Amino acid sequence: MRLDISNRTLYRFDDIVRESQNEVRTCPISDSRQHLIAYRLSLAPASRSLAFYDYWGTRVDAFGIREPHISMEIVAEAAVETSEAGPRPEPCEWEGLFDPSFRDLHLEYLERTPHADWGDRLSEAGLEARDGDDLVATVVGIHDLVRERMIYETGSTHIGIDVEKVLSDGHGVCQDFAHLSVAICRSLGVPARYVSGYLFTASDETGEDTDHDVVDVETHAWFEAAIPGYGWMAMDPTNGHEVGARHVKIGHGRDYDDVPPLRGSVSGEAGTEVDTSVEIRRMDPSHQATVVQPPLTHTDMEHLGFQPQQQQQQ
Amino acid sequence: MTSGLLDGYDQGGFFDEAIGEDGTARSGQENLVGWFDALSADDLRYHSTLRDDLLLSRGITFTVYGESQGIERTWPMDLFPRVITAAEWTVLEQGLAQRVNAVNRFLEDLYVGEQAILEDGVVPRWLVMSSAGFEREAFNVAVPNGARCLVSGIDIVRGADGKFLVLEDNLRNPSGVSYVLENRATMARVLTGAFEEMAIRSVDHYGRSLLAALKHAAPPAAGDDPVVCVLTPGIYNSAYFEHAFLARQMGVELVEGRDLVVDDHIVAMRTTGGLRRVDVIYRRIDDHFLDPAVFDTGSTLGVPGLMAAVRAGTVTVSNAVGNGVADDKAVYPYVPAMIDYYLGEEPILPNATTYVLWDDDQRAAALARANELVWKPVAESGGYGIVIGPSATDEELAGVHTTVEADPRGWIAQEVVQLSRVPSCVDGGLEGRHVDLRPFILTGESIEVLPGGLTRVAMRKGSLIVNSSQGGGSKDTWVLEDQATGAAG
Repeated sequence: MRLDISNRTLYRFDDIVRESQNEVRTCPISDSRQHLIAYRLSLAPASRSLAFYDYWGTRVDAFGIREPHISMEIVAEAAVETSEAGPRPEPCEWEGLFDPSFRDLHLEYLERTPHADWGDRLSEAGLEARDGDDLVATVVGIHDLVRERMIYETGSTHIGIDVEKVLSDGHGVCQDFAHLSVAICRSLGVPARYVSGYLFTASDETGEDTDHDVVDVETHAWFEAAIPGYGWMAMDPTNGHEVGARHVKIGHGRDYDDVPPLRGSVSGEAGTEVDTSVEIRRMDPSHQATVVQPPLTHTDMEHLGFQPQQQQQQ
Repeated sequence: MTSGLLDGYDQGGFFDEAIGEDGTARSGQENLVGWFDALSADDLRYHSTLRDDLLLSRGITFTVYGESQGIERTWPMDLFPRVITAAEWTVLEQGLAQRVNAVNRFLEDLYVGEQAILEDGVVPRWLVMSSAGFEREAFNVAVPNGARCLVSGIDIVRGADGKFLVLEDNLRNPSGVSYVLENRATMARVLTGAFEEMAIRSVDHYGRSLLAALKHAAPPAAGDDPVVCVLTPGIYNSAYFEHAFLARQMGVELVEGRDLVVDDHIVAMRTTGGLRRVDVIYRRIDDHFLDPAVFDTGSTLGVPGLMAAVRAGTVTVSNAVGNGVADDKAVYPYVPAMIDYYLGEEPILPNATTYVLWDDDQRAAALARANELVWKPVAESGGYGIVIGPSATDEELAGVHTTVEADPRGWIAQEVVQLSRVPSCVDGGLEGRHVDLRPFILTGESIEVLPGGLTRVAMRKGSLIVNSSQGGGSKDTWVLEDQATGAAG
């Protein structure tokens, strides 16, 4: 499926800002399920960005604005070709998790992080979701449990909220659903990572498809769990839909802090109002099963102005 | 020996670096020992007063943290120097260069290489991944010539047999070299007589060598005469004196974060003549305070946008970001294996006997004799957090049990080294006191070891704790010229 994404973020400051230095992570990754056709970042005030791939394999654009400004606009435009996910993994015995080399390679996704730090409540939820000896069914169970316990509600939480509180409060947005799932997985010893991306949908809450060609959405988040002998299994607990051709992945990390769409520092004490809008255009809605082109090679990437990507996590 | 200050000197069963087991001066130190022995108590007092006045007038101070406020004290320097012979120095110099070479290779491998040493299972991957010093924000950031540890300070001790051992590596922001130079300058004026009788290698060129190494690490685009500056957290930092000292020695600007700006991924400093481009920053700020856009966003010490500039390759930051993974004390036990892996060589300087506490067997064995070992948190430096088993209270030892069991990865245990001793001025006489040594190593065009180093001395009788932050003193360190090759002069 060909999706064209325009992600526009407008910062309005209530005082003059002399300098800001920023990092943007809004560029879709190229992987086995999707590939990036084009990407462009436009900045106002104008600034030249430095593009690189971070430790987690996500493209970052770093830029600074060193002139007095009261607003800053970042427009990230991407064209992506996506495909449906492959078949779900076969049932997998729990034992595979204890393989030393598997654990070694996934260590970073097993540990507590600020946004995925579990306590008793999550551990109990994990035991409840555990489906005997089957790891795959357990991950699905965690996804189902999060969906059962949580109600989608915008504005009820913020980044930085404790996942234990998220679960007890029972409402949140996609980041909370994703962090909660990641933390429950890890509480059981299942490596899990947070995914930042986009979803082509009529509704961020339900994740439903639409006949329209263009949708206005927000950035989305879901999670992936590592299954021995299979790889990463993606699940979207916010809406229960399969992670498929309507999902566009930007990148992943241990939690939100490894893939924030924007981070940086602003001089002075100015207050900030942020307005984000994401428009996704489906280029050929009638033709859902498109042929996926082979992934870009490094040479292609360089041709497109990309730096060669050194993938650490394999 | 005549009846002088060293009359009745007691080696106390330790390896004494100046006085041999037979009670006479060790080879090469006869003149020095004779000179001190001939002093009267009054002479010693006179020289001590002269030393104190000199240090005070030159403003040589250091700061102790840990009490309610930082306390500034005059630098304590003992008059009796620590002597290292040419033959001993050759071993040290080669061993230190070898070690720094291997550690630089290790860091290159981790940050811009294939992580081959992890793939090959020589260093456990999980150990690196769980290190607080493994800085993912530095991943794929190139460092010119791979000079990641541009300045290293490696702590060396000598045990009962007189052999040199590496106690720990300091590869982030090792401090103390200013005291090496100040000690020498002070000694040259206080012990004029003793100086003339010894052929001592100079340390005065350190500033020039450091500047040359920093310029060598400049990005290629910097041209023939790169601009270097020293970045300090400011006057409240305990090592501010050293930051100012080194800037002065090199003849470069001393700047704080607010003096630097990043524009279009290029770093410039504010000067009275306007902005001036900077090519190399000798930073004495910890990684996490360097750039609030990437690290701790609350920090005002650093320079927003600096990391992107470093990544763009327009400026070099030394030491490199992320070195902490290599001086993580739980990674230190693997340095000999790194030397073998990267260089195919036998380590010239062995490590002190160390137990890794994440290993259940080693932990159990170590905790069973907690009162005999030295306990160190892996990410601290400067002696903070250390528990010396033999002198610890029951309460402290119980604390070790609790903290180590809760965080085995976070601690190591080392056998107590019966540190060598050097005669030291105590109460108008000379008594043996325990010492260690921190030599400084520069990675420039080649690896250069400053002939000397900071000898720290535990001035309290019987104490093994030499850190100045923990009440230790210092000694000038005299590396002797190699008389055989006629290098004296």
